[in-house]
Amino acid sequence: MRIRIRRKRQKIQKFFLFTSTVYLCFLLFAAVGSSYLAPHSPTTQNLNQRLLPPFTEGKILGTDDLGRDIWSRIVYGTRSLLLIGTVSVGIALAGGLVMGILAGAIGGIVDSFIMLLMDGILSFPTVLLAITVVSVLGYGLVQVTVALGIVFIPVFARLVRAETISRLTEGYVESSRALGTPFPKILLRHVLPNMMPDLIAQSTVTFALVVVIEASLSFLGLGTQPPEPSWGLMLKESRNFLYQAPWMAIFPGLALAATVFSFNYLGDYLSEQLNPQRW
Amino acid sequence: MKPMKIILVIGLLFVFIPTLSFSRGAKEEKPIRIALSGNPDTLDPQKTAGTLTFQVTKSIYDTLIEPDEKGVLVPALAERWDFQDDGKKILFHLRKGVTFHDGTPLTSKDVASTLARIKDKNTGSPHGAEFSPIERIETPDSSTVILYLSSPSAPLLATLASGWSAILPAHLIETGHDFGSKPVGSGPFKLKSWVRDNQILLEKNPSYWMPGKPKVGGVEFRIITERSIQVQGLLSGQLDVIDMYDAIDLPLLQKNPNVKVEKILTSLVMVLAMNTARPPLSDLRVRQAINFAIKKQEILDVAYGGGVPVGTFMDASDPYYVDFTSLYPYNPEKAKTLLQEAGVGTDRTLEMVLPQNFEPHVRAGQIYQEMLQKVGLSVKIRLVDWSTWISDVYRKANYDLTVIGHTGKLDPDSRLANYGTDKTYVRWVHPEAASLINKARGIMNPNERKAIYQRVLEIMAKEVPFVYVGTSYRYLGTRKTLEGFRIQPKLDAYDFRHVEVR
Repeated sequence: MRIRIRRKRQKIQKFFLFTSTVYLCFLLFAAVGSSYLAPHSPTTQNLNQRLLPPFTEGKILGTDDLGRDIWSRIVYGTRSLLLIGTVSVGIALAGGLVMGILAGAIGGIVDSFIMLLMDGILSFPTVLLAITVVSVLGYGLVQVTVALGIVFIPVFARLVRAETISRLTEGYVESSRALGTPFPKILLRHVLPNMMPDLIAQSTVTFALVVVIEASLSFLGLGTQPPEPSWGLMLKESRNFLYQAPWMAIFPGLALAATVFSFNYLGDYLSEQLNPQRW
Repeated sequence: MKPMKIILVIGLLFVFIPTLSFSRGAKEEKPIRIALSGNPDTLDPQKTAGTLTFQVTKSIYDTLIEPDEKGVLVPALAERWDFQDDGKKILFHLRKGVTFHDGTPLTSKDVASTLARIKDKNTGSPHGAEFSPIERIETPDSSTVILYLSSPSAPLLATLASGWSAILPAHLIETGHDFGSKPVGSGPFKLKSWVRDNQILLEKNPSYWMPGKPKVGGVEFRIITERSIQVQGLLSGQLDVIDMYDAIDLPLLQKNPNVKVEKILTSLVMVLAMNTARPPLSDLRVRQAINFAIKKQEILDVAYGGGVPVGTFMDASDPYYVDFTSLYPYNPEKAKTLLQEAGVGTDRTLEMVLPQNFEPHVRAGQIYQEMLQKVGLSVKIRLVDWSTWISDVYRKANYDLTVIGHTGKLDPDSRLANYGTDKTYVRWVHPEAASLINKARGIMNPNERKAIYQRVLEIMAKEVPFVYVGTSYRYLGTRKTLEGFRIQPKLDAYDFRHVEVR
């Protein structure tokens, strides 16, 4: 009985894993090959074809209040989504690595200072902090990317610091040090590779968070500027048409939910698989 | 069996009669619930220019005179008024027996201290300048007020009929009372409670000077920013009145048998404003080209829920309105030629700043962008929040293009004041227009005044510091049972005095 349940669960897990991966691959493909997937321009208006329901006049997912093709907007929306996601996770990862290794390897007052700073950043609600950074830097795609990068530095910094400290006390590191290996080389050869699995898992989960916050910021009008397509902006524009054209909200909302779910699921799976000694 | 039936019927009657009469009584006491699209910054009529404030304070305070449904000025706190000395002296005869909410009777002293309060720089009234013609105020007896003016002023009466001239009790002005959160007036309703960003509750003033008014027990302003939630509230019967600026949910409302929708022409002038101090918009040809590139009716229909195009800086229903719509019809070819002549290509990107909390303006902005791109202008959109728009665009003119609606005014002078000088946000300088606007202010003869404004509007129509798109409609949704609800023309304030529930 128990075995059967476990098998069933494994099957479900495999199914989710498969669909998540396929969906994310599809997103990547959509971002690279937008012009092949999208039959129309994402910004061209057609005021005679406003609020068309799905599957009419060649518009698979219908049109929005300015007669723009929703499917094309969703497809082109993946570009800014993946770009913002990748770059800001990159910033957070790089910043977190530098801060974390400095804190973990040097220790003492440097450690206290860096961690105080990181805890300071962490103590703000993420969205609020992102809004603050954006209002200082100004509205727009680049600013949002940088803001989200900064906001997520502490998450990585904490992880890296903890890993650095624990690795540096391991036996093989100590013996390597005893053999006279220079410290930077130890970090590069022993410490960094060992924290890779955690970093990959963390990056994937962070990616999902970044996607949600970017959508929230665009929804608030702080992120992607119209008429450029962004899922958050599409949701914002759909608000007033909820009764007349629910498809304006449903499709970008679904795409967003599926993206977040896939990244989260993949992140969880990766951290489970890449880190066997933990479980 | 028969006695049983009789007992049953009598029993049922006993149950029903009280409920019937109870529901009747409750109907009159129940407040009218109306959606307000935002929280008023203050309830002090002399410390703000916000329409939201005046929409509420109209029910709390009274003015000396007020506009009726057609915009004609009629008596309110003043029973009658006379002009003397070629319009340099105005006599107001006050209504007798009017009391404030705290029980003190209204006298000429209250009027004098209120006007002094508005003129006082420390009050910081944004409308203070409109009262500058008043040189001296005299109160010969408790029901007469005499205003001595430095020069005849045609717009002054309209100013005194506007919400910011509401009369406050003198004894509270002296003590520095906080009218912003504890308003005391002589109006048809008094403030019961105000939960910020949630609701404002007013209750009936039983000793209001209009006999038999108000007819309802109170007014409840529910602060609901989302239009779709307002619509749902009206449909489900949780709201009695909603006031919408677009027609998106119209089909939904029209389907409901308990709701009626009235279409009213607003006094707004929707514009695409251009910063004429910045090249290439300083070039008249470029501004003309932009005017030729815009399909105005389409903007009105798609972004603003329908409307009437105007060709100049005056709303379509104003008595001073003159039709100049034929000057710049849609003509993309002409637009391209003019741009070529002016030497403007796609290399110069114009920045269009949009107030993002006004969905219709954002929608309009995107349509403008596409229309302008079609004639070869490149436009980039930047969304800003409302306070940034006020400080950056409206005060500092830090923009190329922007989209906004200009609200109505009872007197044309309030709309046109300062145009032609560099004090407005379009930075359009035209000495002739400016001097004409100044001259018209002192002319009391309506026909003479009209002729001058006609010339001003013609200059503005030809020089196009704006694309004048048109006057939009507003859609007033009410429950079918509600009658007598009014919106003051031009001022947009809500008047609940004549409301009754059938």
